[in-house]
Amino acid sequence: MANVLLILPELTIFLAAILVFKCLILGLSVLHVWRVAFAGSLLGLGACLITLGMTGEPFHPGIYRVDLFSQLMKTVIAAALVLVLVLSDSPPVMRRDAWRELPFFLLLSSAGLMMMTSATELITLYLALELSAFPVYALIVLHRDRRMGSEGATKYMLQGMVASAVTLYGMSFIFGLSGTTYLSEIAAALPELGSQPLFWVGLLLLLAGFLFKLALFPFHFWAPDTYFSSPHPVATFIATVSKVAAIAVLCRMVAVAGWNEASIDGETLRIVLIVLAVAAMTLGNLAALVQKDFKRLLGYSAIAHAGYIVVALQAFSSLGHTAIVFYTIGYLAMTWICFMVACEVGRNRDTVPVSALAGLWQRSPMLALCLLIGIFGLTGLPPTVGFIGKWFLFSAALEDGQFLLVLIAALNSAVAVYYYMRVLRVAYLLEPAKEDTGILAPSPLVVTGAMVACLVVLWMGVAPNYFWEIAAEAIVALGATY
Amino acid sequence: MGIPILSLILLCPVLATAAVMLVPAGRDQMVRWISVAFSLLALILSAIVWMAYDQTVGGLQFEEIVPWVPAVGITWHMAVDGFGVLLVMLNSLVWFTGVLTMWSLAYRVKEYFAFMTLLVVGVYGVFMTQDLFLLFFFYEIAVVPMYPLILIWGSTRKEYAAMKLMLYLLVGSALLFPALLAIYHVAGLGTFSMVELGRHTFGIEFQKFVYPFVYLGFGVLAGMFPFHGWSPSGHVAAPSAVSMLHAGVLMKLGAFGILVVGIRLLPEGATYWAPLFAVLAACGILYGAFVALRQTDFKFVIGFSSVSHMGIVLLGLNLGVLGVASADAFNGAVFQMFAHGIMTALFFSTVGYIYDKAHTKTISDFGGLGSQMPRAVTIFIIAGLCGAGLPGLASFWAELLVFLAAMKTYPILGAAIVAGLVLTAMYILRVFQQAFFGPRNPKWDGLTDMVGWELLPRAILVAVLILFGFFPNLILGLIDPTTQILMEGF
Repeated sequence: MANVLLILPELTIFLAAILVFKCLILGLSVLHVWRVAFAGSLLGLGACLITLGMTGEPFHPGIYRVDLFSQLMKTVIAAALVLVLVLSDSPPVMRRDAWRELPFFLLLSSAGLMMMTSATELITLYLALELSAFPVYALIVLHRDRRMGSEGATKYMLQGMVASAVTLYGMSFIFGLSGTTYLSEIAAALPELGSQPLFWVGLLLLLAGFLFKLALFPFHFWAPDTYFSSPHPVATFIATVSKVAAIAVLCRMVAVAGWNEASIDGETLRIVLIVLAVAAMTLGNLAALVQKDFKRLLGYSAIAHAGYIVVALQAFSSLGHTAIVFYTIGYLAMTWICFMVACEVGRNRDTVPVSALAGLWQRSPMLALCLLIGIFGLTGLPPTVGFIGKWFLFSAALEDGQFLLVLIAALNSAVAVYYYMRVLRVAYLLEPAKEDTGILAPSPLVVTGAMVACLVVLWMGVAPNYFWEIAAEAIVALGATY
Repeated sequence: MGIPILSLILLCPVLATAAVMLVPAGRDQMVRWISVAFSLLALILSAIVWMAYDQTVGGLQFEEIVPWVPAVGITWHMAVDGFGVLLVMLNSLVWFTGVLTMWSLAYRVKEYFAFMTLLVVGVYGVFMTQDLFLLFFFYEIAVVPMYPLILIWGSTRKEYAAMKLMLYLLVGSALLFPALLAIYHVAGLGTFSMVELGRHTFGIEFQKFVYPFVYLGFGVLAGMFPFHGWSPSGHVAAPSAVSMLHAGVLMKLGAFGILVVGIRLLPEGATYWAPLFAVLAACGILYGAFVALRQTDFKFVIGFSSVSHMGIVLLGLNLGVLGVASADAFNGAVFQMFAHGIMTALFFSTVGYIYDKAHTKTISDFGGLGSQMPRAVTIFIIAGLCGAGLPGLASFWAELLVFLAAMKTYPILGAAIVAGLVLTAMYILRVFQQAFFGPRNPKWDGLTDMVGWELLPRAILVAVLILFGFFPNLILGLIDPTTQILMEGF
């Protein structure tokens, strides 16, 4: 029974998905299906909160670990899922017959993502990765514009498949060298493994699948295209929920390999990560400068942010990991806010060009203010979490003496100001275009979600202590395992 | 600890921002009254702080310490020394008079006052905090609202100016980012408290390496030559009260940052680099004055005069570090921060008034304006004479102290700058002559002069300039103990 309690969050979300599937078979209306899914996600969030303090291994020892780290990440995933579902209530940009299926796929993918955060065995991890990926491939195809949908889905799927194949390949190296798929045993064998270059090659290949989800250079090509051509709520899901799980796995794998005193050759991995981070930040920011589509711009900004996160990841320290967990929570809220605005403004549009935001201050002052907070957050300006989060991320790198890397990262943030401010300029200065002068009135649920997200962004930015402490405790729990 | 009066002052603009945003749409008058009420309250509190500050003791007073993020050593540590008291007062004065200056604004009033008070929050925070992280935090808060303020309510190439300003300042911040973090990690004390970091002695090589980042990072905001390009164009494009805050207090943040982070924490680095930066500052003084001589737009003249006058502040700071006449140099620099703040606020407030009436800022369009707008012109002339360093006005003492220090430290440089003073007089008198005196231009006969409450903000600023012009000891007595403490660090 105690074991069931440990996996309550995954179980709730999974059962909710099955229930929604049943509703689909029974032919319930869109609204009812959505309500069931929304209630299920709320229950899932509740279950996460209940299990937040628990620790244990619900299955065969060593394959699946429930601790504060995994449960915190699951809570974040569940909260983000609720927020995405808020936007997924019959979006016109999807095929009409797909409206009912949207919540089902979102729930199913979230269950997989939650499992990823707990998996401590390579095969389990791989299965969870696949479970989370497939429903999203299906969702992108369900765009109302068939050509756009299939193009976006193909791009995402092909690259995703390649990335997960590479992951599998890396796993085979590690298994071949260590003879085990359990992370705990790999960690124990590190003193021997760490001196073998092949192990680090294997680890890097293994990380590829997760760096892909994070959209880090050189696995970033999909991000702008997929954000652009996915239905808006699906893009929101990809940009928020699935990032969390990828970050969780990266943190866990690096904690296994990098924190160990014996792993002298970890330096190689670190150099690779530094190069990737610099490339991702620079490329993401420079490419974003010329984007005309809002979602595409956010895609490039996501690449840059993946770079910022890896700046802290390569420090291989608990400060770095804590900063990442902290930043992830805030990043999620800011990104969701920006996508929420994209969803609302682009409700009846296949794409959301930046120019569609014109006159937002007249059409909906509330959305304009949200956009201001979200964009300030992504730019890294106070009093939002973007500022303090970046401060923590870069602080981790500097603790290690990486002055130049932090300087590059900080200059990158300054470059980014240009395109972020351009978005605000359109929203705050220009008059609305002729064809869309109407007042935008988001539903009360969206307004509530937006208020919560803005509150989180500002709260974490001004009084970060509570979130910082819980992130630090989670990292202690993670570090204690290995 | 008693009443946390500094936090109360900081709370005034925070509450004002929140209150303004909650006002229902269309109630513009209410927004104005809320702003003026809170700014008046802050002004009164600042005056109380000034009165209550114990000048015989000096040093940090009114301390408030609350752990903020204890795990990484961030503390809500508010305290002011003599410099802080003076600059908090400056900010209160400029905020209060700025609100009154913008009383007649009619376009998107609510958003305007919300952004403007947010800027004020940041400025207060920088002047009060003793925590390195919070200093940077408030510094950025002060910079950010400039973008929408210039973009939406500005004039003359506002989009260009707003973006230019933002990019310059945030590149400056990007230089600060690694530098401040490095100071924290290299000290290894696990705290951002500048008091404790100040007691730590950093290695000389580290100081030499990191000081230029701090100086350049903050220096961009202080209008440091040759990175001043954003400043004149930003001044010109911004609406009047934003120009007032921008030139009056925002640029002081940069100089203040150099003082409290650069000079106080990294004294040896500062000494090493001071000759170079002193020469650059002197270049700024002369360059700003030369360029101002050729401008055709009122606001550009003032914008470049700001570059020139902020050069005096930076020169004073660098001379202070060199130690030949430290007390004069530091006192002069800080005095100049205050005097220049009030003076530019007065300039922009008055030019804003003339522009609102005449809808032009081109000097040659006017001529003989003195007979149509005698009061506005008189006020402008007082500000101008203050800029030229006329005895009896506040700037005189500030410039005198810095020039004395310059003469003692580098006689040749000092002589060059004193020659620059002649240039200042030239560009100011040129404006007087072309715009205010000479034959009456009938085109402007219809303009109405300042009346009643319109005079109020300008009169306050004029009174302040004259008061400290005649009684400089009111300021010197306040800041000198702090200067003495600062000099012990060398």
